[in-house]
Amino acid sequence: MKDRDPEAKPASTPMRGSFSRRKALKTLGGAGLAVSAAPFIVRRAFADSAQPMGPGGIPLARPDHPVTLPMYEDPLKAGMAPETGGDFVVYVYADYIDKGLVNEFCKTHGVNMQLTTYDSQDEAITKQATHAVRPDVVNITPDRLAQGVAGKLIKPINHSYIPNLAANVWEGLQSPFYDVGSQYTVPYTVYKTGIGWRADKIKEDIAKLENPWSIFWNAKEYTGYVGVLDDARESLVMAMLYRQFYDINTEDPAEIDKALADLKALIPICNPKINITEYQTLATKQSWLHESWSGDLLGAYVNYLPAGDDGSALRFWAAPKGKGPIQNDCWAVSASTTKPVLAHMFLNYILDQDVAFNNFSKFTGYQPPQKSMTADALIAKGIVPETLRTAVMGPEDVGAGCLQECTLTSTGQKLWQSAYAKFNSGT
Amino acid sequence: MTEIALKARHSAPPTALRRFRDWLANPWGRPRFLVLVTWLYILTSIAPVIIAIQFSFNSGRSVTAWQGFSLSRWYWGDPVDSVWHDPTLQQALFQSLKLAGLDMLVATPLGVILALGLARWRGRLAAPANFLMLFPLVTPELVMGVSLYLVILYLFTFIHPSTLAQMLGHVTFSLSYVVVIVRGRLFSIGRQYEEAAADLGATPWETLRLVLLPLLLPAILSSLMIVFAISIDDFVISQWLSCGAQCDTVPIRIYSATRAAPLPSVNALAAIMVYFTVTALGLTYLVYRFMTRHERPKGGGAAASMMGDIGGM
Amino acid sequence: MYPKWLWPIFALPGVVWLILLFLTPFYAVVGVAFGGVDPIFQNPLPAWNPLDWDFTSFLDTLSGFLPGRTYWGIFLRTAEYVGIALAISLIVGYPVAYYITRHSGRMKSLLLALLILPFWVSYLMRMLAWVNLFAPEGYVNAFLRWTTLVTTPPDWLNGNPVSVILGLAYGYIPYLILPLLASLDRIDKSLLEAARDLGASPFRAFLHVTLPLSKTGILGASVIIALPMFGDYYTPNIVSGSPKTSMLGNQIEIYFHGGPQPSVGAALTLILSAFLGVLMAYYMFTVAKAQREAQA
Repeated sequence: MKDRDPEAKPASTPMRGSFSRRKALKTLGGAGLAVSAAPFIVRRAFADSAQPMGPGGIPLARPDHPVTLPMYEDPLKAGMAPETGGDFVVYVYADYIDKGLVNEFCKTHGVNMQLTTYDSQDEAITKQATHAVRPDVVNITPDRLAQGVAGKLIKPINHSYIPNLAANVWEGLQSPFYDVGSQYTVPYTVYKTGIGWRADKIKEDIAKLENPWSIFWNAKEYTGYVGVLDDARESLVMAMLYRQFYDINTEDPAEIDKALADLKALIPICNPKINITEYQTLATKQSWLHESWSGDLLGAYVNYLPAGDDGSALRFWAAPKGKGPIQNDCWAVSASTTKPVLAHMFLNYILDQDVAFNNFSKFTGYQPPQKSMTADALIAKGIVPETLRTAVMGPEDVGAGCLQECTLTSTGQKLWQSAYAKFNSGT
Repeated sequence: MTEIALKARHSAPPTALRRFRDWLANPWGRPRFLVLVTWLYILTSIAPVIIAIQFSFNSGRSVTAWQGFSLSRWYWGDPVDSVWHDPTLQQALFQSLKLAGLDMLVATPLGVILALGLARWRGRLAAPANFLMLFPLVTPELVMGVSLYLVILYLFTFIHPSTLAQMLGHVTFSLSYVVVIVRGRLFSIGRQYEEAAADLGATPWETLRLVLLPLLLPAILSSLMIVFAISIDDFVISQWLSCGAQCDTVPIRIYSATRAAPLPSVNALAAIMVYFTVTALGLTYLVYRFMTRHERPKGGGAAASMMGDIGGM
Repeated sequence: MYPKWLWPIFALPGVVWLILLFLTPFYAVVGVAFGGVDPIFQNPLPAWNPLDWDFTSFLDTLSGFLPGRTYWGIFLRTAEYVGIALAISLIVGYPVAYYITRHSGRMKSLLLALLILPFWVSYLMRMLAWVNLFAPEGYVNAFLRWTTLVTTPPDWLNGNPVSVILGLAYGYIPYLILPLLASLDRIDKSLLEAARDLGASPFRAFLHVTLPLSKTGILGASVIIALPMFGDYYTPNIVSGSPKTSMLGNQIEIYFHGGPQPSVGAALTLILSAFLGVLMAYYMFTVAKAQREAQA
């Protein structure tokens, strides 16, 4: 905040307005696995027999069971010239990308920027499927990729147009488990789920606790200032991690019920609030201890500190790889695009070092998986304070062996949602 | 009791308690207890709003601690967060006003003719139609919001969640209010004027146009105002039928902000809506007074007669 | 004087509108509640034909309302909050309405205007004002600290039921007072004068004349605020945000924001509507009975 460029449009608008984005982060895991039943020609299929299968024959990807998505057509031919003239439609969450940066890209290539927004992945998929929106590029989450591919909503990409992918992006995300070979997507932001707190209100050093998640179950003196994420998966997963149970994509009713019981036990202990506003309330001291996403702490530091608070009290802890959930989302070229070459170049543009950095530091606060954006570099530039070093992710956080909330079968989703509703009812 | 004791009882100087009790129990004075309760209630119901408006003039970023007076910071001064400069707040303001305008335009005429029809229809279907009209008044907004949301997604799929959808929802629940107000006015007018006009040779159409409509004008005005107010106020239906950030109205913005960490700019936004509504209300009241100047009993009571019209439930 | 077909024709557009946009959506809720779920898309497949209705999921949800089951607790809690908030509103609102209709004399117009004012301010804005006042550093706590009665004022917004109930009462009272006023206004003053002439004290006159006559008014006003209050989900969210104070509306909201069980949400909506329908029927029955008695 001290070094903030007064001219730069602070992310105050997107952060406050990005309720839509945050609401949607909630539905990441709980989203349906709606796959169009339209037949397609399977060029390459991969199925691990031990893996849960989704409809349409596409297996549900897991970090330890990577999936190569089937290609229903050939990717774009290399070496073509970018199209120009007309509209270029970018379909993304509201306030999730800097309009200025998109505009610059469009101006350089002589097209009209059209930033269309959606409120949730459900909406995005439905609108694309019904052709209510015909984007050129779309922001999509990994759990929807099976839908997107089987429903032919996105096109395979040609990496020759996207050199920044290999050059700038972390190794671990070059060929992610949900899209082996990055045939359809490039990553956009990464974040991890952990605990955010204020060191000036919480006397325990949570990072040094033997089981940091236990702070919630010992938070009686912080009653009224504790928060849990308003998300069916994230909230129950927290209880699972507290018990050191790491199969967070389980569909076993017994495990889910155990997590529910633990969560319910929190209510008489510290009466937690259930919301996703910690990026503001941690900054304004309305919340002292909150299950948080890493980007929230960074956003809080950059945008929401009240006058007189230098943000040194904000802290974040996340479990090491494999013991705490991480997540990322992606960009893809839409099947309805009339400017495929330009779409590819847009994907490349997003992955450009400076563009990604400006987007992150001045607008979204969500970290892109760029090699150049190490914790050291960010701290040196003054974007992130030393006290929030733990909120910055590194390439070692992703890749094989990481924990990620992935899509469940329909039965599984019902179990999780019902359990979450029970927790919410406070009975 | 002996005379002396009686005298002692009545001539001892009254204690403070006794005086207070007498003051409370005075049958000829105004009922003090009721006065107290009433003014206390009015104070506690208006004061929070006044204070919220006060904080829209706060010079700092707090909504709970007064940091000094600044007329313009949150209205147009602050280059990033003020209502004038923050596109999301502006958008919400325009969306609210747009919806309210559309609602007034559609619901009022529709409601007026519906009121006329229901009040004077003598057929067998009139009672069920009347019942249908009253239903939205007591339906929880959540039920209406959910049902409209589902019907738009799965039946009337050509309507997407959008301003149009929100407008349709608003008109649906506004209709009942218009009907109730206009009907109340109809009953207080009675049929005398129309019958007189008919006796004097006016055609039905002329009677409607030249006699009934002008007589109904005060009620139509009240309906316009009420529809404006409830449309501006509506939260649930606007939220369920919203298309995203572009369709968010002021109450939706206030809701999101209040759950997190609001800035005084939200207070400013809400205050602007209050200014609008109070101005419109004042104007309507004046016009109403002017229009019904011949009908009122001497000594004022325009408010009372407006109440009578509205209270015709 | 007017052709007989005129009035039905006038009523037609409005009735058609209500049928299309009020009744039909209701039927859509029914269709979703009794329908299926697309196995692939996870979207609800509403069953429009009554012959296709599938009651298993609905009965499952309904059985959740039995004592001790899933929704029993939250239903009780919602009823409790509504009941107490209604009682508070009546206790405060009735004297105010009574005073304004009976005794205010010259001040009546002014009082009416002041009374109607909150009605014109958005409910959300009044809640915003309420939350700001009761925030830890807000005016209420500052006042309490200043009076030195309380050294550590309570945290009103930490998720306790009292704040929610008071918030509900505060939010809905204006909607109660207006109809109450209107109905009290209509009580014939001569009846009261007759009672006084016959020797009743003011209190007895009130108890035996005014109160019974205002019964329908009280009932009507109560229905007008109690029914919408049952569906309220935003007040607990704003004032509290804790699961300990969540209401039935919050549960319905959960099932509609994505996820595989919109039919459960629809079923809950139906059950809520049915329950409120029962209350509404009771009200109409009472009113009809009162009217019959009045005419007898």
